[in-house]
Amino acid sequence: MSHADRDSASTEAVPVVVAEALVKRYGPVVALQDLSLEIRRGEVFGLLGPNGSGKTTFIRMLAGYLAPTRGKLLVSGLDVVHDALQARRRLGYVPEAAPLYGHMQVREFLAFMGRLRGLSAADLKGAVERVVDRLSLGDVMRKPTRALSRGYRQRVAIAQALIHDPEIIVLDEPTNGLDPRQIIEVRELVRSLAGTHTVIMSSHILTEVGRVADRVAILLDGKLRGVRTLAETPDLEDWFLSLA
Amino acid sequence: MNALVVLLRKELHATFTSPIGYVLAAVFLLVLGYTFSLTLFATKTANLIYIFHQMYVLSILLVPVLMMRSFAEERRADTLELLLTAPVREVWIVLAKFLAGLALVYGMYAGSLLYALILGLYGEPDWGPIYSGYLALMLHGALLVAIGLMTSSITENQVISAALSLGIALMLWFADSVSYLLPSPLDVVALNLSLIGHFRPMATGSVFVSDIGYYVTASAMALFLTTRWLHER
Repeated sequence: MSHADRDSASTEAVPVVVAEALVKRYGPVVALQDLSLEIRRGEVFGLLGPNGSGKTTFIRMLAGYLAPTRGKLLVSGLDVVHDALQARRRLGYVPEAAPLYGHMQVREFLAFMGRLRGLSAADLKGAVERVVDRLSLGDVMRKPTRALSRGYRQRVAIAQALIHDPEIIVLDEPTNGLDPRQIIEVRELVRSLAGTHTVIMSSHILTEVGRVADRVAILLDGKLRGVRTLAETPDLEDWFLSLA
Repeated sequence: MNALVVLLRKELHATFTSPIGYVLAAVFLLVLGYTFSLTLFATKTANLIYIFHQMYVLSILLVPVLMMRSFAEERRADTLELLLTAPVREVWIVLAKFLAGLALVYGMYAGSLLYALILGLYGEPDWGPIYSGYLALMLHGALLVAIGLMTSSITENQVISAALSLGIALMLWFADSVSYLLPSPLDVVALNLSLIGHFRPMATGSVFVSDIGYYVTASAMALFLTTRWLHER
């Protein structure tokens, strides 16, 4: 689906991600318990919670890395288990560690990820130029990714998630380990994606989520404790403390 | 299929830019050259049977080290998460790593063709056992690569991966010895699992479909289990 198609279809009420009674167990440990929520097309959705609250587990299920133990998870109407490959095509995913192949140069890495996501040779060049321009990666294109600073690593990781122009961008703790200027750049990038893309980001930092998200969900001990718009809840800290 | 080509290119690039493969290939060929010279001067016989058995043993020792990085390193560096969340089937990821591993192992084996050439130039070898010996080595190498991938897929620790792979290969090697201790029909099962029992006939010139079937089935089984374990993550 092109941007134009998406824009015309873009309405705030249309859910692009639907979780129904989602459960994830690791042996006897319940990481996520009966989570049900809807994420709307075009919004920036923040998942907030302390470490171990189930944010990464949910995001990994959404990205197709983990399978739910029970329940249903739909991405653009596609089941992440039964229509896994199609669902993954709709997503761009940035894992928390921003993993890159150290032996590849930045341009090789982006081209590899583009091809892996099914871009043709004709589309690949334009797609790489687009993300390089958007993430200001021009200066490091010929550098091996293992030689990059933390900030550039994060930018390259975000670039690979955007390369196939996906409908949904999933960012797991995208500002972890970044300096203040890099944090501001990531925030600006996330806000610039809103509207044309649905952005789902997790964080354990209240202010991070508060500054970029349209709606916020709080997860505690694997349970969804509430979902609110930022307009409804200007003081996230009060809300979080009332639930914790 | 396009995904397989993309993944294979990436695997070949990673394999042939890492020094590990070159170091192990150098060790392999050095030991082999030493053995070839010694046996040729000692036996003055134009065949490669000793060399094939030497390659059989060296492969069991070295292929686990060559393959230990394949999935374990991806797991350690978190890049496995990138691969497994891309719109590609797990089987393509496994096959790409398998084919890249084969390319490296067969590249090492190809170095030994020089010995066959020397025998051809200076002697009159019986080429039948040489052809069947290389067939045995190709099947043997494929099985060891598949076992290496399998053990690498269950851990992020490369040493554990190599140790498990070596352990499985050694257990299969000595399975025929164990068969003498077992009651019927378990003795037949153990005997038929024997790695050397299926390698030796081909290495000495006798090609049986059952031996080829053993290697193909065992390799396919290891690749299948690798794919399942990745899928069940």
